[in-house]
Amino acid sequence: MKIRVFTAIVVCKIVRCLAKLFGRGSSLPGKYALKICPDILSNLKLPELSIAVTGSNGKTSTVEMIAHVLKSNGLKVAYNKEGSNQIEGVVTFLVGDCTMGGKVKSDVILLEADERYSRYIFKYFHPKYFVINNLYRDQMTRNGHPEFIKSVIGQAVYDDMTLILNADDPLVSSFGKDREGTIYFGADKLPTDKAEHEGIYNDGKYCPVCKKPMEYEYYHYNHIGKFKCTECGFERHDTDHTLTSTKEENGKASIVIDGKYDIPVFFTGIYHCYNILAAFTAAVTAGIDPNKAAESLGGYILKSGRISDFTLGKLDGRLLLSKHENSVSYDRSIDVVVSDNRRKSVMFIVDAISRKYYTSDSSWLWDINFEKLKGANIDKIILAGQYCDDLAVRFELAGADESKIEIFEQVPDAAEYCAHNLDSFLYVITCFSDKEKILSIVTRRELA
Amino acid sequence: MNVNILFLYPDFMSLYGDNGNVRIMQKRLEDQGFEVAVIKRTITDNDISFEGIDFVYMGSGFESNRNLAAKHLAQFKDGLAKAIDDCVPMLFTGNSYDILGKGITTADGSFTDGLGIFNYTFKEQLEKRYTGDVILADKETGDRYVGFVNRAGVPDKEDDLAYDVLKVIGNIPLKKDSVKKNNLLGISLIGPVLLKNPKIADSFVKIICERRGTEFKEIEYPHSLKSHVKTLKALLDTDI
Ligand SMILES: [Zn+2]
Repeated sequence: MKIRVFTAIVVCKIVRCLAKLFGRGSSLPGKYALKICPDILSNLKLPELSIAVTGSNGKTSTVEMIAHVLKSNGLKVAYNKEGSNQIEGVVTFLVGDCTMGGKVKSDVILLEADERYSRYIFKYFHPKYFVINNLYRDQMTRNGHPEFIKSVIGQAVYDDMTLILNADDPLVSSFGKDREGTIYFGADKLPTDKAEHEGIYNDGKYCPVCKKPMEYEYYHYNHIGKFKCTECGFERHDTDHTLTSTKEENGKASIVIDGKYDIPVFFTGIYHCYNILAAFTAAVTAGIDPNKAAESLGGYILKSGRISDFTLGKLDGRLLLSKHENSVSYDRSIDVVVSDNRRKSVMFIVDAISRKYYTSDSSWLWDINFEKLKGANIDKIILAGQYCDDLAVRFELAGADESKIEIFEQVPDAAEYCAHNLDSFLYVITCFSDKEKILSIVTRRELA
Repeated sequence: MNVNILFLYPDFMSLYGDNGNVRIMQKRLEDQGFEVAVIKRTITDNDISFEGIDFVYMGSGFESNRNLAAKHLAQFKDGLAKAIDDCVPMLFTGNSYDILGKGITTADGSFTDGLGIFNYTFKEQLEKRYTGDVILADKETGDRYVGFVNRAGVPDKEDDLAYDVLKVIGNIPLKKDSVKKNNLLGISLIGPVLLKNPKIADSFVKIICERRGTEFKEIEYPHSLKSHVKTLKALLDTDI
């Protein structure tokens, strides 16, 4: 073993201990290790089985579900927790799990891989399986656009990896073109599917391979669905594992994979279904018995609270956590509001666009299908936060009824208005970066 | 009276909510009393005419799409050039104005011819995106414009470029930006540029009224103005 590698491991472990001592989890240890030994990753002895997961949405949930399935089936799993999916973070967690001799102790390495940084990480080691769940417009201030992300993920794909791809997302699925041994997952036609595209823009309109128009038999949501290019023949690939149905009756929800694996779930939001399906496919591909995979997924309760119920004065309300700079996630939240037949009000909060970096870019508001709220039995629309003026113009041009719109620069003022003037159910739609601004005012209720 | 907006490649070059610019123009022209028709022409159409057009708009797209759009639009170059000479107001945002120069060298080294209206060529790379919030300044008028840039390339020469880059929060190696010729404006800002820069919208609407011989009515758009003022202040106050 090279002395450089050994030194890097020792330093990384010491810094990690110190950081823990001071209660700070960070990727600092990895940073030091990389300074001493830039190719430390290729010098570690890794287990046979490794799985990386990337995509615009649901990486963390998918990785957590895969970890849960593997662990419940007796495997020792090393994986990076949220926020450490750049190379420093990956080094930190891998060295944290290895012996002084550089041998990773776990049976499986599971990696939440950042779309943009995978190309740097995979220079040094190749995961056996690489799951790509979806690619769409997300944080474009950092990510450029989906096709740019596709090309940089492409730089992380090597011949010795097995790709596990979402067959219903054309951009993702195109990674499998002319590639033997690729595993596909996808959904069959579902009752919630649409024959026509819904949304402000359609990223499935043109073929990612030849750029000629595509046709869809149905859309699950946005550009995710059963597509076929009219020119080059690129089309939705047959699937190895399939979401065959979703059920929601008497407050109990479940999904069925491959027509026989029943998985009780917390809710059947299509997003969530794809994450479960991706996790199931990855686990089964990695050798877990499908019955056992389904069983452990069924027992898994989603921890990341996308939904919080609350009361505000006499009002009952529900917070639907969405992602700023991600029109697809907003569209899904709007779907929830629209499918609720009650008379209701909706508050949108855009106060800080990101908690990680500064930007004033609000262009993504124009990609969200706010138009869908028309005719949805809406009492009031409350626009709140620093960007209330950008929202106001957006809603005006969405054809919203002016008399229904209230605008507040400060979230507390918006909350005060709602508490005193509304008598309908209140939905609040906002992002991680802004949610505390409302949750600190309302009284939270546990979900039944 | 009827006015026609030509919306170029609305489904092919529409990466950052660019549709907002057309919607804003439509609303403002309606507020002036015009009946507005939005004519959409895209990559699968083989007729793009600039006859009788009062305003032209094109937004940002994937670099691969933009290169195809450049090739496609080249078929209708004469009509476009004539419309520019006739002072038809036009707005090209984001990476769409790249095609108005001599050409674009894409990250893979391939060269796509531009329309040759300006003298720059753009050179692109894949290593990183050039992204960030910016303030642009028009030295002649003192006006400042705010917004976000998200592009893969930079121009080789800046002689043709009209505005100074006053401040960048992010990573954009540009000192100058934007092209102007008669009533055409090409600007690197993405998305609904006219929302955060109501002055640009106003000037287009004024020109359209003049060209159609109707009187321009001063109308206030307080939210748009506030958005501009707030964004400008935030960008000036933010440490780089
Ligand atoms: Zn094709």
